[in-house]
Amino acid sequence: MAAGAASLAGCSRMVNEVARRELPTDLRLPPNPEPTARLLGRVGFGPRPGELSEVAAIGPGTWVHQQLAPDASDDPALMLQLAQFEALSEDAAELRDDPDWNVTQQLSAAAILRATYSRWPLRERMVDLWTNHFNIYADKARGAFRKPTDDLKVIRTHALGTFPEMLAASAKSPAMLTYLDNQLNDRRHPNENYARELMELHTLGVHGGYTQRDVMNVARCFTGWTVENRFLRPRGTFRFDADQHDDGEKLVLGHVITSGGGVSDGEEVLAILGAHPSTARFIASKLTRTFLGKTEGPWVDRLANIYLQTKGDIPSMLEPLLTSDDLVNGEPIPKRPFDFLVSALRVTGAATDGIGVQAYLDRMGQPLFSWPMPDGYPDRAAAWTGSMLGRWNFAHDLTHGAAPGAGVNASELLASTHADPARAAVIVVLSRPTGSDDPVLETLRSSKGDANGLLALALSSPEFQYR
Amino acid sequence: MSNDWRSCDGYREALAAATPADSMASVSRRGLLVGLGMGAVGWLAANPTLAQIAVRPGSRNQRVLVVVFLRGGMDGLNVVVPKEDAYYRLRPSLGLKGKSLLPLDDFYSFNAKLAPLLPIYRDGRLALIHAVGSNDHSHSHFEAMSAMEHGLPQAGSGTASGWLARHLESTRADTSNPLRAVALGSTMPDSLRGASQAIAIESVADYRLTADDPEFRKTLGDLYGNGKDPYTEAGHATLEVLDTLNRLNPAAYRPSVRYPKTDVANALQQVAFLIKANIGVEVAALDKGGWDTHVAEAQWLDANLDDLAQSLAAFYTDLGGETARTTVVVQTEFGRRAAENSGLGTDHGRGSVMFMLGGEVRGGKVYGEWPGLEPNQLEDPGDLRVTTDYRRPLAEALRHCGNPNPSAVFPGFVEQPLGLL
Repeated sequence: MAAGAASLAGCSRMVNEVARRELPTDLRLPPNPEPTARLLGRVGFGPRPGELSEVAAIGPGTWVHQQLAPDASDDPALMLQLAQFEALSEDAAELRDDPDWNVTQQLSAAAILRATYSRWPLRERMVDLWTNHFNIYADKARGAFRKPTDDLKVIRTHALGTFPEMLAASAKSPAMLTYLDNQLNDRRHPNENYARELMELHTLGVHGGYTQRDVMNVARCFTGWTVENRFLRPRGTFRFDADQHDDGEKLVLGHVITSGGGVSDGEEVLAILGAHPSTARFIASKLTRTFLGKTEGPWVDRLANIYLQTKGDIPSMLEPLLTSDDLVNGEPIPKRPFDFLVSALRVTGAATDGIGVQAYLDRMGQPLFSWPMPDGYPDRAAAWTGSMLGRWNFAHDLTHGAAPGAGVNASELLASTHADPARAAVIVVLSRPTGSDDPVLETLRSSKGDANGLLALALSSPEFQYR
Repeated sequence: MSNDWRSCDGYREALAAATPADSMASVSRRGLLVGLGMGAVGWLAANPTLAQIAVRPGSRNQRVLVVVFLRGGMDGLNVVVPKEDAYYRLRPSLGLKGKSLLPLDDFYSFNAKLAPLLPIYRDGRLALIHAVGSNDHSHSHFEAMSAMEHGLPQAGSGTASGWLARHLESTRADTSNPLRAVALGSTMPDSLRGASQAIAIESVADYRLTADDPEFRKTLGDLYGNGKDPYTEAGHATLEVLDTLNRLNPAAYRPSVRYPKTDVANALQQVAFLIKANIGVEVAALDKGGWDTHVAEAQWLDANLDDLAQSLAAFYTDLGGETARTTVVVQTEFGRRAAENSGLGTDHGRGSVMFMLGGEVRGGKVYGEWPGLEPNQLEDPGDLRVTTDYRRPLAEALRHCGNPNPSAVFPGFVEQPLGLL
């Protein structure tokens, strides 16, 4: 694969040509498609052409269980496309000479392509969730060239693993250490930035029961956790600098961290936080928010209990939630711009290089890896009401051959449903059988649009802004 | 724009874009007259499409509040500098002296990078408030910003909506206007969270459908005609704003003065366009990032102040006669530690400076009680004390802009006007 990557680097156009996926010739809906469509929209990023029938054939429960335990295989064309990106194959120090924008662009393209084409959409949904949970801002302190390692070693490795292991990996991630200023955290000048966000945003939650004194003592525990920058050492890796560590005794959340612990002080803090009931609740509420659209209710208690019983095993929490009827019966969940863009690419069977479409994410307000604050992109609809114009323009450009590096074959797509064009657009985009009283169908019928126009309008509809 | 909250790296663009030619001279009284003639009146007369737009009832006299949020914590002590020995003891390297200072009165001086604002100050239309801040002692950007954008003494007191959103809610003048408030950026800031008649716009000139097809626009109107979910309501408002802006043809608009080529200048230029167009905008919110000067402060602060001062001065001149109904508030989440640190920068502190400028501002004066910089006057761990609650100037601005009860916007707050307006 490495040799392949080198030889393909110069011919991305050919790669993307090869990566053009064939559309199924029969896109008639299976019986009762709507619960399956909601399942795909919530667990992943919506159906690709033909996927509703595939999932209906094997059964939704079987599909969810497959998704919870992805194997190493994936869509071959996707792997070919990803092989072009050196940011995915090299370690951080090697990327230092690349311009920041180039690294971020490659990483963003990989995120878009994986969410669009991977066989494992649940994993990509979880990567999106954890990427925002452990947010890194590419434009601060040259975070761009450290983020690819963080993306691989922290987020993707543990996305469906255990939360405490992901937390431990994040704490030693050079991208996180520099993003939250921990390289400035030394025994003479403890810097509280990482300590505070670790408890407020990564584990306990803001009302999780810690005090300002805990913040200060946790900061002391992490003094000396920094990034290697000495000559002839593996630059850009985690380094514990014992000279900068405050080795005194500390009291953290009622636990005594005994003196002389060195690097184990921070590791002990991470273990305390990873096993804390407030963390269990906080992570449980994040999961219910992601999959049910709400942070309250019986599922929070249930998932928090599973967290505590399984030491934060993520698939053990997801399994009952994703196989429950509550998943497909809940209120619609608003799509963020990334969710909208990827679901539009999927539902139309679009070809994309993952690069040209990034300008549309900018205009919708969600350029990837570019949220400055450590809380990650907001998931409330209210934050994204300014994105509607960007969504409509993307829907239009994608379907009219005007989006750089992306396109769809609208007429072939609609014809495969064996329905009239307006009805076909509703079937393809909204995954529902169209009765004569379907309001969207009536509106599309009156629009005088051709296949491209109908598809654009269906993607622009309010219904498609939710999952 | 609103995402541009960089600690240090973002300044390079600002440095590169700063145009030294735009000195004080271009923002002189002559500039102001040019602004009056060509900016407001000249452009309106020369733009026949404007005549076709029904000016909203009462909107011509509608006062406008422009809020500029400086994200990262502006170092007020090196922006409006006190004449105190302690200042130089605390800041042996960063302390400003000589030609780096422009005296405002017997005690305070401007950082010389603010020279473009000096004529407005001397003209009595720029007021400064020193040692201003919130009651947030966390030293956390996010907590402190959250406090201010929600209009609270400190973060996390349970109010979800933004202070500007509550202001709009409590003065519901014209419920049919989709553009009572505008955020210049791609996402809505917390201060406008919950506002139903607000929209985030990155670029007024680019605010149009790429589909050159009236049928597409019409069908979107049908799709977004009714429905009470957030995206349907947002889509409905977006279409109304699109129609309004398309009639105004912002792409053909030219400002009456030359603005710097920076993000904040670009945002202010668009605010000026919207104010002049007289379409009922009551609130505009925008950000300028990059004030978190932990290291090499002089370099970053100079570039940032240069940009801010030139941009505000250009905006003020460009507005011409419209300054009479415009009030600009410049705020930041906290100031910085009184003593410089070992990296020739400053760490997170407390009290900072607020600016208020506009045609009806009682300026030419530094407001607020000076808390002093002697060790016994500083607050742990060595911060300028906050002697003026940041909500005092904001409440005055709200009352000035027609809010009959600003205390309702700031829960538990009792108005104590400084006499700014």
